[in-house]
Amino acid sequence: MTAETPLAKVPVEAANDSRANVLELDRICLAFGDKQVLKGVDLDVKEGEVVVLIGASGSGKTSLLRCINLLNTPNSGSINIDGEFIFNVDAEGSRRPAISQSEVNRIRSKTGMVFQQFNLFPHKTAIQNVMEGPVIVRGESKAEARKEALRLLELMGLGEHGEKYPRQLSGGQQQRVAIARAMAMHPKVMLFDEPTSALDPELVGEVMNAMVDLAKSGMTMVIVTHELGFAFEVADRVVFLDQGTVAEQGAPEEVLLHPKHPRLKSFVGRFHESADLLRPFLEARIQEEATEA
Amino acid sequence: MFDFSVITSNAGLLWDGLLMTLYFTVITIAAGLVIGLVIGLIQLSTFRPLVLIGQIYVEFFRNIPLLVALLWIYYAFPIFANLNITKFWAGFIGLSCYVGSFYAEILRAGVQSIDPGQTDAATAIGMSYSQRMRRIILPQAFRKMIPPLAGQSIIQMKNTTLLSMITVPDLLYQASYISSFTYRPMEIYTAVGVIFLILLVPLTMLSRRLEKVGGKI
Repeated sequence: MTAETPLAKVPVEAANDSRANVLELDRICLAFGDKQVLKGVDLDVKEGEVVVLIGASGSGKTSLLRCINLLNTPNSGSINIDGEFIFNVDAEGSRRPAISQSEVNRIRSKTGMVFQQFNLFPHKTAIQNVMEGPVIVRGESKAEARKEALRLLELMGLGEHGEKYPRQLSGGQQQRVAIARAMAMHPKVMLFDEPTSALDPELVGEVMNAMVDLAKSGMTMVIVTHELGFAFEVADRVVFLDQGTVAEQGAPEEVLLHPKHPRLKSFVGRFHESADLLRPFLEARIQEEATEA
Repeated sequence: MFDFSVITSNAGLLWDGLLMTLYFTVITIAAGLVIGLVIGLIQLSTFRPLVLIGQIYVEFFRNIPLLVALLWIYYAFPIFANLNITKFWAGFIGLSCYVGSFYAEILRAGVQSIDPGQTDAATAIGMSYSQRMRRIILPQAFRKMIPPLAGQSIIQMKNTTLLSMITVPDLLYQASYISSFTYRPMEIYTAVGVIFLILLVPLTMLSRRLEKVGGKI
């Protein structure tokens, strides 16, 4: 949808391991009361990498994502974003070194987050939603922020909808405004928390296309999703979380087609079942397209 | 049966009383809003002792009859504290603290009714606590708070009549004074009722309008 106006193109060579880590999570533990949600999760994400977190509900994938920008504060572990610690507490609970709240806010704005329920600001128009961060947090001039916001909205295919309020937009449009809002802070890494789960089925595609474009432009992304087909297409790495630990991770073909962990087998089994059901239709379509071409 | 000449011949006294009522309504609502904002935000903090202080304040002033509070502040407090307090200050403090506790509850409920996702989203783009409150949460909460704030403020105007009990010369005090030498309480208290109706009915209608505007967001 936005092939003519790509984001700043960053060429990403395959298997380039010299890329720096944008995100380093080390032994993240998180408990809600007595319930241990995350039990020492390690996760490194390289620049330009697209990592998809999968797992059953309650496996801790959303909690892990919310730990990255400290919407959930872990009990211990360390989180390094783009070379700076936003959180660093060892298992005894001592903080080394102390990180002030304003530092946390500053480092946090290097991440952009997209939520399941969009969470647009209902009292602001689409363009005001996108401008809010740059103007209020980074102190940019309104004119400058407006120009950039318009560019981002156009990139999301929402050029004409800038002056509309969220309630006047469809779910898919709202979610694309939310992506533009997160992108406006020029984040180092984008975090997606089940971005298509609250959408009507016919609106899922437009949001996914926007995310595919974003991935192609070289954006580093961590995505929690149940859309395994999307994971298969876009992910560089799929991470399977089970009961608060990383049970298995690797290339999507490896994890989704040749799972080793028993619970991962049954988890992707459902995906394979539906894929098998669809196979005759998909093959027919491929043949149709081949004869047309 | 009614002889309204007592109203016209004592219009000056009633006018003075009305001004006093309006004066106290405005200044105690203004002070109450400040108190309500402070106590409301204290109750919304995550620091337990502060939350407790806010709750104690609110429950204290919400659950003591306003008349008792006014009488106590005017007559008993000066003895305990060993200082002189004028009836104006006693009335001002009592009414402001009282309405402030209700405003605080309205603010707390209004802010807590905002979807936590709004705080998440504002936090995620790097906003500080005060930026979140000022730019995202309070503007949405205020829209929801307009009807209860208007309702409480209307009650506040009527509550100023209790000032007459500590001899502040408000509208009701003047009315009882006039009836003490004209022996026409029926006419005079009817007039007071009509004055309140004339003042408050348009305000009620205005708050209904605002409610509709606020409901759109």
